[in-house]
Amino acid sequence: MAFLTLSNISKRFANFAAVEDFNLDVEKGEFVSFLGPSGCGKTTTLRMIAGFEMPTTGNIAIEGLDVVNKSPNQRNVGMVFQAYALFPNMTVAQNIGFGLRIRKEPEAEVKQRVNEMLSLIHLEEKGDSYPYQLSGGQQQRVALGRALAIRPKVLLLDEPLSALDAKIRVSLRAEIRAIQRKLGITAIYVTHDQEEALSISDRIVVMHEGKIEQVGTPFQIYNFPETAFVASFVGTLNTISAEVADPARNLLRMDGMELETADDLNGRQKGDKVNIAIRPERLNFVSVERKANVLDCTIENITFLGSVVRIQVKIGDAKFNMDTFNNPFLELPKLGDKDQVTCSKEAVLVLGD
Amino acid sequence: MTDFLSTHLAKPAAGSKAKDTKTSRPLWSWVWFILGALYFVLPLLATLEFSLSMERDVIGFKAYEMAFSDNKFWQTFGYSVFLAVMTIIVSIILIVPTAYWIRLRLPEARRIVEFITLLPFVIPAIILVFGLIRVYSSPFDVPFTEITLIPPLTNYKFGTNVLIVGGYMVLALPYMYRSVDTGMRTVDVRTLTEAAQSLGANWFTIIARVILPNVRTALLSGALLTFAIVVGEVVLASFLGIQAFGPYLFLLGQHRAYEPAALTFTTFLLTWAAMGLIQLITGGQSQAAGAH
Amino acid sequence: MTETALPVPKMKTPRSSYKSWIGVAPFFLFAILFLFLPSLRLFVGSFTTEAGDFTLANVTELITQKYILDAYLLSIKISAVTALGGGILGFLLAYSVTVGGLPKSLRSALITFSGVASNFAGVPLAFAFVATLGRTGFITAVLKDVFGINIYSAGFNLYSFTGLCLTYMYFQFPLMVLIMAPALDGLKREWREAAENLGASSFQYWTRVAMPVLLPSILGAMILLFGNAFGAYATAYALTGGRLPIITIQIGAQVRGDVLHNPGLGNAMAMGMVFIMAISLAGYSWLQGKTERWLK
Repeated sequence: MAFLTLSNISKRFANFAAVEDFNLDVEKGEFVSFLGPSGCGKTTTLRMIAGFEMPTTGNIAIEGLDVVNKSPNQRNVGMVFQAYALFPNMTVAQNIGFGLRIRKEPEAEVKQRVNEMLSLIHLEEKGDSYPYQLSGGQQQRVALGRALAIRPKVLLLDEPLSALDAKIRVSLRAEIRAIQRKLGITAIYVTHDQEEALSISDRIVVMHEGKIEQVGTPFQIYNFPETAFVASFVGTLNTISAEVADPARNLLRMDGMELETADDLNGRQKGDKVNIAIRPERLNFVSVERKANVLDCTIENITFLGSVVRIQVKIGDAKFNMDTFNNPFLELPKLGDKDQVTCSKEAVLVLGD
Repeated sequence: MTDFLSTHLAKPAAGSKAKDTKTSRPLWSWVWFILGALYFVLPLLATLEFSLSMERDVIGFKAYEMAFSDNKFWQTFGYSVFLAVMTIIVSIILIVPTAYWIRLRLPEARRIVEFITLLPFVIPAIILVFGLIRVYSSPFDVPFTEITLIPPLTNYKFGTNVLIVGGYMVLALPYMYRSVDTGMRTVDVRTLTEAAQSLGANWFTIIARVILPNVRTALLSGALLTFAIVVGEVVLASFLGIQAFGPYLFLLGQHRAYEPAALTFTTFLLTWAAMGLIQLITGGQSQAAGAH
Repeated sequence: MTETALPVPKMKTPRSSYKSWIGVAPFFLFAILFLFLPSLRLFVGSFTTEAGDFTLANVTELITQKYILDAYLLSIKISAVTALGGGILGFLLAYSVTVGGLPKSLRSALITFSGVASNFAGVPLAFAFVATLGRTGFITAVLKDVFGINIYSAGFNLYSFTGLCLTYMYFQFPLMVLIMAPALDGLKREWREAAENLGASSFQYWTRVAMPVLLPSILGAMILLFGNAFGAYATAYALTGGRLPIITIQIGAQVRGDVLHNPGLGNAMAMGMVFIMAISLAGYSWLQGKTERWLK
């Protein structure tokens, strides 16, 4: 039996549904991200787990026990808010110890637990500081420590890094993941940043307009997107419409050029329109290595991004981005040059409509 | 110096927060609200009722008729309005350039000037008038001589008028300055000025076409508040012997019963109108003038 | 608040030359003529005898002369009572329209009205209360005719300490509302949720988080209310005709005619008031600073 189960969860307001048809099983110790654009319902779902919103339909169970009817202060889930929400009138140590004192734990144990947390989040010297004396990243770590101090069954994180600097975001998310692993605690992490989700999750739930688009590991989500939305939201993508040329041989036609795909065409017939997608890093110049598909193109733009060089090529009427690793000894083509690019048939993804 | 009243006074809740799923016990809230509302409304009701009862057994406007047909009322009220307008004009002429100058050229002066604008809270009207009389009812001599440079201001009508406008400006100073300063900050006059300069505008154009129009709202709300303060003011006016509305109303109360009630209610309506106007034009910021 | 690895280079702003200070000269002139000079005159006069010599006698008389000390104490008493009463009730009222969950329209109405009521002080306020609780006042009559309670025979008198306090509340209340409503707005929703999430009940949230956070604002506001009542003159004079010997009335009597034949004493009384007001303003500023620091 799964550790955390959401069955048939929906949340409807007067004239629209924020969350619809949400089903998810989360195993103990799993790190699951809810990923999607603003307004897709990810935060609402998280708040339903925490108890700040009541679902219109459905059930939420933790360790087999129904929690839907429990108020937030009885659920023993720890929540980390986007805006830190540290109590300004208390020191860091008092903030972290808050939940334990509410539970009337003996003072000696509270002190010990607080110290444990302080070393877990690497803020041992800041115990007597007030929130306003800390930076954003430090405050968020305190918030994490405060949520973990009460030994919650599930850890909920609501876009905890959105308010922080880019560099801090990267280091802090790794820290969060490390702490979660160390404690073996089940975690649900809400974010709109797909790079964040990809880098730290065991599984990702991609959401769109209140519904689940796809659930899978980062590898699966990125390489085998099941819908057009997932494909375009996760990672950069080249999408284009083509039509079926020969269903028996998995051949597509795009702008007069032939493309072979390894994907299932799902019974589409000749002449049917289909959306396909190719990841930029799966394209390469023919001169480097030749693969199953070869397409004629013109060089439109070259952008140097550091470790990656992004070359925009025009294939027929469509513009494609091609990403290749920076190589100081590689001679790059010039703008306006005519060239040929290639990709394998596995790289041509057929998107669900 | 810390910000004072205007930055801590209420704006109606703009941009509502997300719906609270828990209604936080509105029962007690209603209790307090109704109690508070009662306390506010009853005196006004009582005044209104009283003002309408001049004629025995008749609800009528006789008291209002009598009050408004008194020439003295129009004289004093008109004079108070005149004083209010003078106070507003001179305040604007003094404060707007000063606030602008501080923002643009002299940020170091900010703390001192803000401190000065807080002083009227430490020196209430009764003490201010005390000091003004002491200073300006004696002549200003050239030191060590008997030659009089400036005769006592209080000997002259014009001098007294200058005194009272000056005194009113002091009373209104915190609110006027705060309004103007907030208005300039919201509009970011520094950047506007630089933009205008880079486009070739001269100082006159900048002030007339860029700055003033943008602080109009702030000026209006400050002016309205000043108006409310001056028209109702009685301490400075009576001690300086000025025939203003405040002393008139007080004297009226010594001799008549119903007319003062009528005027009191009218004053209330006027104040409500002024405050309502301020809310309207500032989109909700309210200011308090405090006790008199 | 962000952590950036590189230090941001500071722009050097040139110190303004003394010529720039000319721009604020008119303002300073105004302040000197109408604020500093009068205050200074009073200050210096406190320490001067009638002959013009320096003396501390006036200042000591503030404490030794019973009627002066009583006046200060009475003023302090009224101010404290109305600050506390107006503070508590004003807070409850502000609470009801913010966190308390009443409709937004009621909040707007309350805020507007508070702005009006706090400006209503002085002669009109006194008259309004006479019409309400005077011997032939509206409420007095209602209580007598409808409920059979005669408050005047029971000892109540509008023209007394109690009556003045009641009247003062009319502008103390709204001032508290105007200050506390935004402070209550400043209570972040997330604090409540975080507290709940950590297991706290509503009561525990209020006692351990919300009230401590609000306390500087509340105290600061009450100090403001204190100063507000302390300096009031017109309302008291219009209501009690100068019979209630609060310090402002006493000073007023001084200004009107040299009752004491000692101008220095009058000055000292005024300075004593300013001193007390200055302390309250300082207290308010300090508490404000604390609030702002916490709620960054």
